[in-house]
Amino acid sequence: MLWTATNRTPFSRRAFLAGLGGLAALAGTSLSQSALAEGLLDRTQLDVPLFVSPRREADGSFALSIMDDAGQDLARVPLPGRGHGMAISPDKSRLMAFARRPGTFALLIDPYQRKEPQVLSSIPGRHFYGHGCFSADGRLVYAVENDYEAVRGVIGVYDVSGREIQRIGELQTGGIGPHDLLLTDDGKSLVVANGGIQTHPGKPREKLNIDTMTPSVVYLDLNNGDLLASHALEKDLHQLSLRHMAMDSMGQVWVGGQFEGDLSLTPPLVARMTRDESPRLTEIPGPIASGLESYIGSVVANASGDIVATSAPRGGKVMFWSAATGELLGTQDVIDGCGLAPIDESAFLISDGRGGLSYLEEPSSYPEVLARPAGVAWDNHMFAL
Amino acid sequence: MRNFLIAAAILSTACFETGTALAADAHTANVRQVIEGYIRPATSTFARQASTLPPTIEALCTTATAQTKADFVNGYREVVTAFGGISFLRFGPTIEDHRLDSLAFMPDARGITQRQIRRTFAKKDPSITDPSQLSDKSVALQGLTALQLIAFSKGGEVVLGDAGENRDYICGYASAIAQNVARIAAEIATDWQDENGYSARLLNPGPDNGQIRTSKEAIETIFNALVTGLIIVKDQELLPTLGTEIKKAKAHRLPFSRSGDGRAYLIAELQGIEAALRAAHFEPDLDEEFSWIPGSIHFEFANGIANLEAIDAPIRQSLKDGDTYQKLGLLVITINSLRDTIALELAGALGLSGGFNALDGD
Repeated sequence: MLWTATNRTPFSRRAFLAGLGGLAALAGTSLSQSALAEGLLDRTQLDVPLFVSPRREADGSFALSIMDDAGQDLARVPLPGRGHGMAISPDKSRLMAFARRPGTFALLIDPYQRKEPQVLSSIPGRHFYGHGCFSADGRLVYAVENDYEAVRGVIGVYDVSGREIQRIGELQTGGIGPHDLLLTDDGKSLVVANGGIQTHPGKPREKLNIDTMTPSVVYLDLNNGDLLASHALEKDLHQLSLRHMAMDSMGQVWVGGQFEGDLSLTPPLVARMTRDESPRLTEIPGPIASGLESYIGSVVANASGDIVATSAPRGGKVMFWSAATGELLGTQDVIDGCGLAPIDESAFLISDGRGGLSYLEEPSSYPEVLARPAGVAWDNHMFAL
Repeated sequence: MRNFLIAAAILSTACFETGTALAADAHTANVRQVIEGYIRPATSTFARQASTLPPTIEALCTTATAQTKADFVNGYREVVTAFGGISFLRFGPTIEDHRLDSLAFMPDARGITQRQIRRTFAKKDPSITDPSQLSDKSVALQGLTALQLIAFSKGGEVVLGDAGENRDYICGYASAIAQNVARIAAEIATDWQDENGYSARLLNPGPDNGQIRTSKEAIETIFNALVTGLIIVKDQELLPTLGTEIKKAKAHRLPFSRSGDGRAYLIAELQGIEAALRAAHFEPDLDEEFSWIPGSIHFEFANGIANLEAIDAPIRQSLKDGDTYQKLGLLVITINSLRDTIALELAGALGLSGGFNALDGD
């Protein structure tokens, strides 16, 4: 592994140069030699949409890959552990990649500048949950964190505008296990999905409160941290951990859940809501629902915001929903498919655990495999950069 | 009561330890059988076939006659067929240093190879005619898929060696590709033969052995590659060829269909995946209730392969006939079923797991 810095070790220049060595090696064998040699760090050279996703490499190490719209690797940044979600700045010039829970590292990357990635470690007593987002002006990053001794979800607020990242404060999420978060269109509030599951890094993947969990989706005022709205599902769905979200063109928040109850049941898994409207559950027809193992991976809207895609990696399916009506428009089979990103006006890019990156023109088409880097497993989430 | 609990605790610890001791090399025999019974012979065959490509191209480029063209067509087919027997081994020496992508750049839904060849030809970049420089170029320019584009016309005729202003340049490029392919094929075979190389890592799992810590992880590496191989045949090769309906079928999307080897490559992949699975010899590891699984798998492989063998014309020419289209459509169903039987039933019976996101999501 090129970069072996531990979680709390600052990123060294030498390590970064080693990272660049990795990039240079990539340039020698990849397709976009010129684009990489000059273009990776020079935005004007890149006239194609870019995507970024964490992945497991063939040798078992973890990295972030930045690729073009044909799925070809342009750049690779080694990670010290498994990645998960990312915050992408509003102008798409920067990104912050978070460790998968209960990881404690995050990396702030400026892919268009010859600048060292900055490593952020969670403060003592906290770990990251894997997701974050930028403020509307791009100066702040909000990161979901676990205050595990106090058993409460927190949004860490980081100023990323200066030379060094500063943690300038925090907000309470009003729940346990905050997972995904979204900035509202006006940039004034955050929507946070409190997954509801209590965990402790002492028992990294164990769930401690399945019987009593109470997930919610909350709207927080970014000015003062006030809870503007809190939505929960009916009591009988309290074991549906609300985890990943997307916002459609109508301002509705779509949330996908992971059911912690009896797996022989097929509860609803996808709901939409607004700040003032309670969640409305969607219907998944029985024959489809029974194969999903009640587990939604990613929730992403297409660029025009009229279709929302939800991946179900345990069922090997991606479902597509009409933002306007909440209807299921269709499904596609993608074995171990999880990562989703909007591409072009209405299409989706889909990544899977067997290395495939597929382009889906429309829900009724079929996923066209664009690339499949050998030995790679794409991790849960992919983002347009 | 208290004593009993302690005794039970000791007993269960003992069982646990025995269990892990057994588990540590429980699958090593399967791993060894696949390496010795399939991977080493198949990679050697590919290396041997690939080594015949440079002289075949030299003969064709010296004098293009009906005979040298026919020799090239046959030689290319044999290389592609041998490649189909190893291209699903997407781990270890096969994929190191971008070898697999360099041997064949697939999938190529956006026509990257064609575009890069055009751009390189426009500049008449001489470096692609030198094998040592070619190996530093884009992987799309280096292998069998690029060779197919320059050696065969759209209609499947051999055009390499034909008179024309770029003849020598293209011949030089073809020769460099052939040497590059032969070199990579030889490296893959040599590395797989190496008793101290990657094979040793698969055969000696342990805590200090990278991602292969147990024999279960070693056999899963192989097993999951076979499943991925089936997924590739279906999702990456057949579905884009078939499109959503016969009117939208695109024969050129089938790998090696330009040279008329689309069917041969598909058959080679399926035969290779099946042979690797047979070599693993999982039968003795299966409980009585699961003993039906191998027979069912081999029955379905036989069906799928027979179905392909019954296609009697090059797929490029015959795809829009209802019959060929229907046969490939049927193959999709067979492969779906095969994948389920292997990835769900057989993996379940053997206690193997696959699926990165499905297994441990978040």
